[in-house]
Amino acid sequence: MSTQSSSRGHRSEIHPRNCWYAVATSEDVSHEPLGRRVIGTGVVLFRTTDGTAVALEDRCAHRPYPLSLGRVDGDRIVSGYTGFAYDARGFCVHVPTQSEIPVGARVRAFPVHEDGAFVWVWLGEPALAGLRRPPVTPWLKDPNWATLGGEWETNADLLLLHENFADITHVAVVDPYIAPPVLRSSPPPLEVEVTETTVSFSRTYQPAPLPEWQAELLGLPADAAHVQREQGAFVTPGLWVDRWDVHVDSAPNETQIHTFRFTHAVTPISVGRTRHAWRVSRNFALGEQAGKALLPIFTDYYRRVQRILETMQNVLDTDGSRKEVNVSADAAALQVRKIIRNMVADETGTGSRRAISGVNR
Amino acid sequence: MTITQTIVREHEADLVVREARQVADGVVAIILAAPDGAELPAWTPGAHIDFVLGDDLIRQYSLCSSPSQPEAWRVGVLRAPDSRGGSERVHDVLAPGSIVRVRGPRNHFPLVASSRYLFIAGGIGITPVLPMIAEADAAGADWRLFYGGRERASMAFISELAHYGDRVIIVPQDEQGMLDLESVLGTPQQDTLVYCCGPEGLLAAVEKFCEKWPPGSLHLERFSAKPQEPSAAVDSAFELVLQRSGLTLEVPPDKSVLTVVREAGVSVLASCLEGVCGTCETEVIDGDVDHRDSVLNEEEQASNEYMMVCVSRCRSPQLVLDL
Repeated sequence: MSTQSSSRGHRSEIHPRNCWYAVATSEDVSHEPLGRRVIGTGVVLFRTTDGTAVALEDRCAHRPYPLSLGRVDGDRIVSGYTGFAYDARGFCVHVPTQSEIPVGARVRAFPVHEDGAFVWVWLGEPALAGLRRPPVTPWLKDPNWATLGGEWETNADLLLLHENFADITHVAVVDPYIAPPVLRSSPPPLEVEVTETTVSFSRTYQPAPLPEWQAELLGLPADAAHVQREQGAFVTPGLWVDRWDVHVDSAPNETQIHTFRFTHAVTPISVGRTRHAWRVSRNFALGEQAGKALLPIFTDYYRRVQRILETMQNVLDTDGSRKEVNVSADAAALQVRKIIRNMVADETGTGSRRAISGVNR
Repeated sequence: MTITQTIVREHEADLVVREARQVADGVVAIILAAPDGAELPAWTPGAHIDFVLGDDLIRQYSLCSSPSQPEAWRVGVLRAPDSRGGSERVHDVLAPGSIVRVRGPRNHFPLVASSRYLFIAGGIGITPVLPMIAEADAAGADWRLFYGGRERASMAFISELAHYGDRVIIVPQDEQGMLDLESVLGTPQQDTLVYCCGPEGLLAAVEKFCEKWPPGSLHLERFSAKPQEPSAAVDSAFELVLQRSGLTLEVPPDKSVLTVVREAGVSVLASCLEGVCGTCETEVIDGDVDHRDSVLNEEEQASNEYMMVCVSRCRSPQLVLDL
């Protein structure tokens, strides 16, 4: 019996809410209100006097005017229209025209976690925020790593971005200049490791030359061959982390590992639109000059990917979803889809996850 | 042309037993941590891990600590004389300081969002339910737990449940008789999820009562394979097409689909090999599946969308899987 269910493995219209999303960078959040949209919800971010980041629903309880168009006054945010003021918990604490606060005058307050690079916000069931580990990205603030990056809004759905991160064999096709030569030949076995909530993959390549720009950066001869290793991990719907290691024999019996770490903080703005903050960190060639040389190379690559993602979203929007053919190398991407799909099923109670299971004693 | 191989496996690690404490008659709570203190993989209530006790001895245990504690996992193990020796091994071999290889976590018993829950636990079945209650309570849901067992002394974690007050109803059999399922489940309720875990007798009874409940209300976790009707038919061979890998194979009558797939070098996750744990669940693209597992309900089996490849087979000449 044919089993072509359109709900299986295909584009979901709903995003998971019970997870942390990097709604803004730490630099972006200040004593000026900042308005962002996440999963179709308006969120206003600001800092109280002691520097704590706060996230409230970006809509005054009184009239439909965004709080992000108002101002921060001490530890409160004040509407720029009728002057209602709210504290960090979202409770209305002042109304210009009377001394009593109306019953129920409050806006949603979202749990916030800040790790020095990003301000992570929890849009789901607030009680669960304390029961789920927030993502951390310590290397972004570690002085032993030099980080560059960019961010923009991409007109493509969250899942398309994750599937792109999950399989880097596209790099050689999309951007031959940036791609390590190894990516152009048949790749070694892909190892995928799964847990309930994460997927990670890795490949170790036999010694091969580096791309020109990297050999130059490291001051190595262009044709010297080095062992290279790629690793990627889906940490949570809001975070993907990769690394690319190059093994250089610095002395007999001594190998140095030069690493690029890639951080992708992705936040669904709405269906088909995602905020993408990307960072490239390196533990070699830490100087400013190297950073200046690398930024355009990576920016160009990520822009190419952005165009491809937006093109795919356009095809989906115009011509619809379709059962797709997969290959073994898609294993990581398919596991990510499964995790996200299961999260949405659990949150919405639509039960596409198995309802019955067994455990031995 | 080179064939690109992909190896999919679950996370595996050697963990150290930090604590092994008798918490009730025949029940030991074991606390595990990474030897270097590293954080353990994140999980949600209902998740379980494998203890890999030997090549042939893999046992599943539900996690009953809190997902907010990244540095340790807790499981509760019941000494069961008639199990395949795994639990005896656990009790006898695992003392503080010993190393145990674990695999996972995985979760086929997740806590689905709801405003109301009825939790029904029998004996060691309390283990997956404990963290579920903590989350349901934190989320402000309306819930009750009916916890049955042989006698109070054999029922683990009663003291941990004390602070929930009268939402928890303890029913030791020697004091109050069997759990009165008629009073708990007799009247089907809307917008209420029923979560049940415990011995087969309890599960079968709860399944019967929930037949009248709205579809999807009941979520169960089984400890062992459901007793299957012995089949009069002889197993037949069939063709197996693996769409992703582009392979066509033959499944002989004496080999499982799982074995044939693995022998062909294609990676597929599996654990219990009995059709109970749900790990080997694979998407079916075409074929009339002969389901022999204890995981899928009747509706799911009829839809032919998924199958447990460790035990189930195919009635039609060809089975096409997304592998």
